[in-house]
Amino acid sequence: MTRWAPVAAVAALTLALPPLLSASHLAMYILLGLAAMVTVGLSLLMGYAGQVSLGQASFYAIGGYTAGLLSVHSLPPLLGLLAAPLVSAAFATVVGVPLLRLRGHHLAFATLAMQLILLSLLSQAEWAGGAIGLQGIPRLSVGGYEFADDLSYAYLVWAAVALTLLVARNVVASRPGRALRALATSETASAASGVPVGRYRLTVFALAAACAGLAGGIYAFYLGYLAPGSFPVLLSIEYVVMAVVGGLGTLWGALVGATAIVLLVQLLNTLGTQPGMPSYAPSVLSYAVYGLLLVLVVLFLPHGIVPAARDRLTRFRFRTRPTEPVAPEP
Amino acid sequence: MIEVRELTVRHGAAVALDRVDLTVAAGEMVALIGPNGAGKSTLADTLAGILRPAAGTVAVRGRLGYVPEGRQMFPDLTVDDNLRLGGWAIRNRTTAPVYDILPRLDPLRRRRAGSLSGGEQQMVAVGRALMARPEVLVVDELSLGLAPLVVADLARHLRELNTDGLAVLLVEQNARLALDLCGRGYVLEAGRVVATGTAADLAADPRVADAYLGAAR
Amino acid sequence: MSDLLQYLITGLGGGCAFALVGSGMVVIHRVTRVVNFAQGSFAVLAALTTSTLLATGLPHGVAELLAVAVGAGAGLLVGLVAIGKPGTPPGASLIITLGLAVAAYAVEVLIWGDQPRSFAGVPGAVELAGARFQAHYLLIIGATVAVFVTLAILFARTDVGRALSACASNPYAAKVVGINVTRMGLLSFAVGGALGGLAGVLVTPIQLVTFDYDVTLIVGGFAAAILGGLVRPALTLAGGLLLGVAQALVAGYGNAAYQLEVALVLMLAAMIWQAARQPAAQREVA
Repeated sequence: MTRWAPVAAVAALTLALPPLLSASHLAMYILLGLAAMVTVGLSLLMGYAGQVSLGQASFYAIGGYTAGLLSVHSLPPLLGLLAAPLVSAAFATVVGVPLLRLRGHHLAFATLAMQLILLSLLSQAEWAGGAIGLQGIPRLSVGGYEFADDLSYAYLVWAAVALTLLVARNVVASRPGRALRALATSETASAASGVPVGRYRLTVFALAAACAGLAGGIYAFYLGYLAPGSFPVLLSIEYVVMAVVGGLGTLWGALVGATAIVLLVQLLNTLGTQPGMPSYAPSVLSYAVYGLLLVLVVLFLPHGIVPAARDRLTRFRFRTRPTEPVAPEP
Repeated sequence: MIEVRELTVRHGAAVALDRVDLTVAAGEMVALIGPNGAGKSTLADTLAGILRPAAGTVAVRGRLGYVPEGRQMFPDLTVDDNLRLGGWAIRNRTTAPVYDILPRLDPLRRRRAGSLSGGEQQMVAVGRALMARPEVLVVDELSLGLAPLVVADLARHLRELNTDGLAVLLVEQNARLALDLCGRGYVLEAGRVVATGTAADLAADPRVADAYLGAAR
Repeated sequence: MSDLLQYLITGLGGGCAFALVGSGMVVIHRVTRVVNFAQGSFAVLAALTTSTLLATGLPHGVAELLAVAVGAGAGLLVGLVAIGKPGTPPGASLIITLGLAVAAYAVEVLIWGDQPRSFAGVPGAVELAGARFQAHYLLIIGATVAVFVTLAILFARTDVGRALSACASNPYAAKVVGINVTRMGLLSFAVGGALGGLAGVLVTPIQLVTFDYDVTLIVGGFAAAILGGLVRPALTLAGGLLLGVAQALVAGYGNAAYQLEVALVLMLAAMIWQAARQPAAQREVA
């Protein structure tokens, strides 16, 4: 089927890329993959379940700390990696029960509050390293194989992104997924339909948390140390920018958005660290760009890049294909 | 007073009004009837300036007062405040004349508009429109959801206002009410004017009678 | 006992800032149904502007008033972007204000750098029933009360205030009577900006302001506003004061590090309680 051709092409391309990349580009590849995983979950949450989350980095952090803490306490790293998404999802489920009763701006603030509380607690928690953070997380090893260099993490990330996309696609295509998409915008329709929308919403919330948690787990092993300062509110906003720019509710959109933003940030960092630029230039530039992007996309490309591009493509196709007669209804 | 020519109004991609022609002369009482979704409220909104035409012209000579569909109160504000806001466009704060015309509103002055009955709210809506000291009144779905006695009372007020010189465009699903009150009318269906004439002619027209007045006459 | 009074006064002072920020959000939300994430930025901008103006030699009072005007201007700008384009739904406007808040960081750091700033307030200290505190607190509390009284009169008695309330109450009906709803929305943003600016100006002498202080204010302000259901200024004042006092008590008798959590937990509790009381379907706007 032609639909699979672009997917296969992108998959093959991204799989072939890592050995060809320089060290710094490889690091970017890995971070991009991790960001994409979080964004896929967030895009589902915002696009299909209609919930705005300004605290997605919390689940990233929880995943990371879970994996990190378990391995630092001498448990097999693989266990830590598997536990990361599960613990994140569990946390999301518990927190989601009261939180998901809220709508719109209430939920946005609540998720923000959740992250601030989490960060504050982590900074105070000595057993997690406190403000300094968790040091000395051992390398990830599966069976006898140890993930020692960036290249191995790159492949791991590729596999994790593929897994995330697969799961997300299945959720979207499933009956609950379609029901959610149809009902995301209307409470009264949901209540009248008999569909347990609340439960579906909670599931998507937990799923998004799991995506972020898995990414966080990999991040912990890749970096080797974690600190509360690595998960600021700005990171959550970054994910929102990626999701919105790419296109809410589309899987391609999450990938495109993450790629666009990571590349842009890299560009800004290079610009900002040029000789002659003040020390705070990189952060100023990224703040400015995030803010402006968010505003411009919402105003002029409200559905994001991917749906807008799809629109153009469809219109183009319709113009070049001869009109077919519509078959009469049976 | 009102002169609409070739008016076309869009709702997104759909056409809500398609080349509509309509006039209301000074002192006339004109009916606009038609089924749900015909575009009657769209026309009323356009006359009031809330919607913009995609094509065609709307000419309103003199001040226009609008009584919108569904009463549209300011529910947390008092009746008095509701009325006073009616005079916003012409900076009119004097509510006394309106209480003279609609004395039933007087005891309700300080009541929250949201707590009134449907009929009372409809009266407030009319009073609010009158605060604009209009020369032509557009009334959308006066009778919606109201008991017949209440409707009759409101209709009487409208007739009095019309006798005093106020032109009225009565937009109604209740065709019998509209044709009883008005001298002339239009029938709007799916955005187009499908019939027009004196009230008597319209009432006698078999298509109109069948569709809107019930077979048993 | 004097300790308690001390905490109460400082708590009230901080709470007033929350109440002012929160009331700005309430004014904007009442009229436009938009929740303004950039509300805290107005405070920071005004505070930073004040420090600059004072440094150029402008006298106290003048500098502060100009800074509040800057806040109003910033509010207007945010309003223009957030609701200026017809057809922007409130959810989209929320994200826009979020984007503008983030962009505001860039502006602030660009102009003022990333070091914390402060400036002097009302000089001297006051003693009351054994508690000593800066006289500036009296200014904060006094100004806040004056502002809230003015707001109440504005909304209930003046034509413009009634028009603003009308837009909040029923935007369609407001259009029916000829009110320019967009213009009223922009006005509400300007008022919100001024209120936020005032909060920043009042609170800086007792609190170092950096460019990320707006997060604290916005969380506190939103918490206060939530208690008023985002529409009632009086409850916002009460909510803000309650929050400020709670924080001060926690800082004084407990651990100062938990101040933010207090605000957040109170806010979450209030929101969840409100959501439980009012089924979402009722709040749906057709």
